[in-house]
Amino acid sequence: MSDHNAPELNPTPGERFTKFLKRKDVLETLGWAVFYTTGFVILGGKFYTKWMPTMMSTDMRAIERLMVIFTWISAPVCGFVLSMATYTFRHGHRGDTPPEDGPATRTNRLGISLFGVMSSLLALVAILYGLIELNSSAEAATKDAPNAMVVEVTGSQWVWSFNYPAQGVTSNELMLPINKPVIFKIISEDVNHSFWPVQLGVKADANRYQTTTVQTKPNKLGAFDVKCAELCGLYHAYMETNGAVVTTADFNNWVTAQGGHTA
Amino acid sequence: MTTLDNRVSSRPIPNPSKSLITKLNAGTGLVVGIIFALGTYYLLNNNSSDDATVNFQHYNRTLLASMLMWSVGFLVGIGAFIGPWRWLIGKDLTAEEQLYLAGDGQGIKRYFKYCTDHKVVGIQYLVGVITMLAVGGTMAMMIRTNLAMPGGHFITASVYNSLVGLHGITMIIAMIIVATGPFGNFIMPIMIGAADMAFPRLNALSWWVLFTAIPVLCSAWFLGGIPTGWTAYAPLSIQAGPGMNAFLATIIIFAFSTAVAGANITATVVAMRAKGMSWNRVPIFVIGATISVALAVPAFPTFMLAMIQTALDRTFMTSFFDANFGGSGWLYAHLFWIMGHPEVYVILIPGVAILMEIVPVFVRKPLFSYTAAIVGFAGIAGLSVLVWAHHMYMSGWMPMLNGPFMVTTEMISIPTGLIFLVILGTLWNGKPWLKMPMLCVYAFLWNMLVGGITGLYLSDVPADNYLHGSMYVTAHFHYTLMGSALTGAVAGLVYWFPKMTGRMFNERSSYVAFWFIQLGFQVLYLGMFTAGAEGQPRRVVDYADTFHVSNMVSTIGAYGVGIGFIVLLWGVVHSWRHGIIAPMNPWGAKTLEWTVPYPVPLVNFDTPPVVTSDPYGYGKAVK
Repeated sequence: MSDHNAPELNPTPGERFTKFLKRKDVLETLGWAVFYTTGFVILGGKFYTKWMPTMMSTDMRAIERLMVIFTWISAPVCGFVLSMATYTFRHGHRGDTPPEDGPATRTNRLGISLFGVMSSLLALVAILYGLIELNSSAEAATKDAPNAMVVEVTGSQWVWSFNYPAQGVTSNELMLPINKPVIFKIISEDVNHSFWPVQLGVKADANRYQTTTVQTKPNKLGAFDVKCAELCGLYHAYMETNGAVVTTADFNNWVTAQGGHTA
Repeated sequence: MTTLDNRVSSRPIPNPSKSLITKLNAGTGLVVGIIFALGTYYLLNNNSSDDATVNFQHYNRTLLASMLMWSVGFLVGIGAFIGPWRWLIGKDLTAEEQLYLAGDGQGIKRYFKYCTDHKVVGIQYLVGVITMLAVGGTMAMMIRTNLAMPGGHFITASVYNSLVGLHGITMIIAMIIVATGPFGNFIMPIMIGAADMAFPRLNALSWWVLFTAIPVLCSAWFLGGIPTGWTAYAPLSIQAGPGMNAFLATIIIFAFSTAVAGANITATVVAMRAKGMSWNRVPIFVIGATISVALAVPAFPTFMLAMIQTALDRTFMTSFFDANFGGSGWLYAHLFWIMGHPEVYVILIPGVAILMEIVPVFVRKPLFSYTAAIVGFAGIAGLSVLVWAHHMYMSGWMPMLNGPFMVTTEMISIPTGLIFLVILGTLWNGKPWLKMPMLCVYAFLWNMLVGGITGLYLSDVPADNYLHGSMYVTAHFHYTLMGSALTGAVAGLVYWFPKMTGRMFNERSSYVAFWFIQLGFQVLYLGMFTAGAEGQPRRVVDYADTFHVSNMVSTIGAYGVGIGFIVLLWGVVHSWRHGIIAPMNPWGAKTLEWTVPYPVPLVNFDTPPVVTSDPYGYGKAVK
């Protein structure tokens, strides 16, 4: 106690930090952390862009971007956890007798505080990013709503049917003109279904007597899949149909061919 | 209690002559249960109406009543109500009868009786859980086999849908009890220095009530299966055939068992800790198990309520959930997920707590920041009741509330981070002893990391627009429940096997099982994540050709996991019969259960232990 204030026993935080960084185990762990973080950053950029289907609307593009960015946000967490795990696993003890005791560290205020602040910040970034994304898609939808085309979607065991009230057309296939906002008004005739035009990046349940609404704007020509994402009984797996995003002219031709009237 | 405390464990078998108790066992339970069930069935079954709907409702009533009466009958037959009956007539069981119920010296027979010894109940739970996991696992293998190739011709759509639902509910029930059942009953009372649970008769009741749910659930097969998945969403559940009654009855019975067990475990931990075991000296597994069952106490009655309402809709033409008559499917979804989300943490927390118990022992260091561990558990438990509507983002119920529910959901990542911090902090600067339980800790770190991060995407509303209801969700929750919670329970099995059976777990089989399970698991769910990212919905018997590769990969991984679990099962059976006799404290741990010999005496401790520190006093002094 007497030499409590002796300068040589009380290194400054800076000195302690430098000393900590020079430790062999710290260096190796840092190496692993860099390795894993980089790995997850690269993986995050590749995995979803490779496997997720064609993006046929701004919503789908936003989703894919979000998956990538969230992977990047979590990359340092992966780096932290996996580096410490890898280091201790590599230097583990094998054999039939227990290893000798390690240091009796029960807590580390600095470590816990740093971890708490960092993990909360990362969570905050994820929350804020998600909320902003949610808001911007809602804003875009509100802006698009006045000149949107309405499609009434009806789910029943086990078919989808689409009614275009303005055009006076009913169909089992979902045709959409490109770059025209579309509002889906979804309802079920029996049990719950979930309307999922996969490549458009929107989804909403079909409930009995309760219309749910979802809006998107297809911006790429091509075929897409319409599926049911809520177990709805025997042939749930087969409750799917074709959809296509076509040019306005093609859409008008299709409407006429179906006996409807173009606006 | 006093009678039990004053006796010596090697006393001859007490023989309360003329008492009914000595004559009752699971056999008489079975007989009386079947009589009750058949009696109810023949009394009520009377399809005289010309109206098919009326007949169907009446048939549902008959089936439900028979199933519930089976449960009551079994409990009558096994003697569960003898104690309460004595109280009714102003008496109690005699000391001799209580001693007989504790089952000491009755050998293997006591496992088939209404035995109040917590160690017997623990073993009963263990065998029950292993059986349920084996059945649920077999169903999973059938599902994966069917999904190996597009076309789905291995099983029909109706059998497939039933398998999905039965696999789900069997595994959910098994996972809820996988840690708190065997270890919470066998180990936990010894860990806190108690002679038994707070309510030994309720303890026996909780197991035997659960037992009666198993044949009821199995009967679903013979009644046409359950087409709804384990979520049993209305109105699909109202439309479903007679097999649905088995599901409803199972949940009603199971919820009762959980309530009894939860109250019992909580009371035991609160009231029966050894002298000196203040709250900051309680082993972390005990804390985890208590938080878990305490969370279950409000959750499961909600589930039970939802099932009773569904049953009423099906049998008495009420319309709680039937929109055709003014009800709301959303109401069901709310009730279900108000149970459903806390329930995943009811499953997860004890598994994690087992691993936290294991880490200090194998690293020979104190648990890093015991406080952070408790704050982590409590934070998860507290937040888990505020997040349920993230399962309903796409339901259309109230899109305005998606934002707030997203915030609460993503906040769970903060207390979950503390769990990682505690385990990593304990590992750091240590030399972990890489035995099988320790390997499980590493597997947990990876699996929970993947499960947690994929949960982050799913909690986010825009991303959930794409991922909701896809295979991605299935892969995510298997990472958390199977990869994390079940891994914890398996670690606990190997760790506590010496205390529960007196023999060491066969080491080679434990390693082989571990690597098969964990590597197979990664392949299985990497394939499934990919299928989900590609856009394959959940619970489909068949899929488009584009998903073939990811599904094939997934099925190959599933077979790896299957082989691993068969090896593990062989390890359990083989080690139980022929394993090396275990020393009293093979791992050199400091918790109280390692201070008692095998077989553990009836009252656990010859002299009640006195606790002077927490059980993590490992390690050399830090300079």
